[in-house]
Amino acid sequence: MIHVNMPNPIGGEHWGFWIALYFFLAGAGGGAYLLSVLYASESLRRVRQAAMMAFLAVVLGSGLLVLDLGQPLRFLNLFLSGFYPSSVMWTGSWFLLLAGAALLWVFLRPASRAAQLSAALLVALVVSYTAVLLMATAKPFWNATPLLPWLFLASAATSGAALLQLLEPNERLKRVLVAMAFVELGVLLLHLLWAYPQAAASVMALLAGPLAWAFWGFLVLGWALPIWLERRTHLAAAVLTLFGAFLLRYFIVFAGQV
Amino acid sequence: MPKPNDYAILFDASRCIGCKSCQVACKQWNDLPAEQTQNRGSYANPLKLSGATWLKMNFWEGLKPDGDPYFDFTRGSCMHCTHAPCVASCPTGAMAHREGGVVTVDQSACIGCRSCVQACPYDAVHFDEAKGVVSKCTLCYDRISNGDQPACVKACPTDALTFGRYQEIRAVAEERVRVLKERGYPRATVYGLNELGGTHVIYVLTEHPSAYHLPVALKEAEKRAGTGWLSAGIAAAILGAGLKFIVERREALKGGEK
Repeated sequence: MIHVNMPNPIGGEHWGFWIALYFFLAGAGGGAYLLSVLYASESLRRVRQAAMMAFLAVVLGSGLLVLDLGQPLRFLNLFLSGFYPSSVMWTGSWFLLLAGAALLWVFLRPASRAAQLSAALLVALVVSYTAVLLMATAKPFWNATPLLPWLFLASAATSGAALLQLLEPNERLKRVLVAMAFVELGVLLLHLLWAYPQAAASVMALLAGPLAWAFWGFLVLGWALPIWLERRTHLAAAVLTLFGAFLLRYFIVFAGQV
Repeated sequence: MPKPNDYAILFDASRCIGCKSCQVACKQWNDLPAEQTQNRGSYANPLKLSGATWLKMNFWEGLKPDGDPYFDFTRGSCMHCTHAPCVASCPTGAMAHREGGVVTVDQSACIGCRSCVQACPYDAVHFDEAKGVVSKCTLCYDRISNGDQPACVKACPTDALTFGRYQEIRAVAEERVRVLKERGYPRATVYGLNELGGTHVIYVLTEHPSAYHLPVALKEAEKRAGTGWLSAGIAAAILGAGLKFIVERREALKGGEK
């Protein structure tokens, strides 16, 4: 896979840029679908659009995952080797596969409540497993607190709301975006504080080290600015929120491997 | 706990002279290439284990509180855990326990997802860029299954490394600690009896394991994942309820005011 050179002098990371990009895609696409089911299930057109966005995000993200493997052609081993529920990589792969199928089902039969809800459950599992995957490792920055699923779900809500805002801005989405942005920031700061005793090097890399550009970039450009802009221009706020959601996944993925 | 008849290696730090014969023997037997290294002011070299270095000696040098110098050595390699996080996290069964409790990776089934690399608390599993799969110490399974000793053990000139059945090896270790305590090492201890269900490589140390940066109170990968799934479930329920409130309840309140 092509090595992407972003300002990251950490080096030696095992999960890098493409994994962070996949986490972002799964979060934003999945978040958009979950919100559409939650607040707009009466609008079948909206559910259908969101299901297609989530489907594309899942397909594109899975493609990135496969290409990032050391042996991409062996990805079928994930599904054919056996039953490994203790491996979050294995469960996550199945969730991805099934969520993709369920989202396609929703796109084809948007009126089916069974399709809508089963897709919603699977999408929620896809969004959360990425956090559980990190928590199940030996990396203290990821496993010191149980907060990563909260962070990834909150971020999925903000970035999902931002994606839907791009389609058609409305008041409710704006409220969701702003409220969840505050939850996201609160969880993030709590995580950093809680993880600090065990993962000081990672936290310092974020605050004032090689990942500071991503952390402060998220805070200023991807969090504070869009909230301020939300009253003025939905479009710019949504784009910046999505950019911020990517930076968040990026620095979480890299900081664990400092 | 490892079974009494499992294979086991004892590393007795109180007998080690830091000659690195084991490190070289490992490279030779397993046909591992040399690595470009750099003098960092310590005899420990290279800095970390890698796909090409499955065993390396760590050097601990400095002054004790009473001013006496110390120069201790520990062995860095796969510990062949009973509840091995690398095995639990492998999505294809490529990383697995073989007969006698030995953990090895089947490189023809490995897809190169690096879950095991992230999961290992001993940093003993590494990605081989050239092959696209992971590699690690095999406890010289090719040798021991043919009645021979592991290459590192055979090369040790001071009997700091011994190989045998778990029950015998553990008894030797406990006896050695008893003797060391009598000889003025009050903190002498056996490391690896409680870590991850007991490891098949155990250490006799003259100081507390934390003095050598050895991880203690390790959690199994399954438990970490369990905590993650539980936290994700709670997060999804609470954040989902919060979102529903933001979307519906506030709407209703507003409607009521009007």
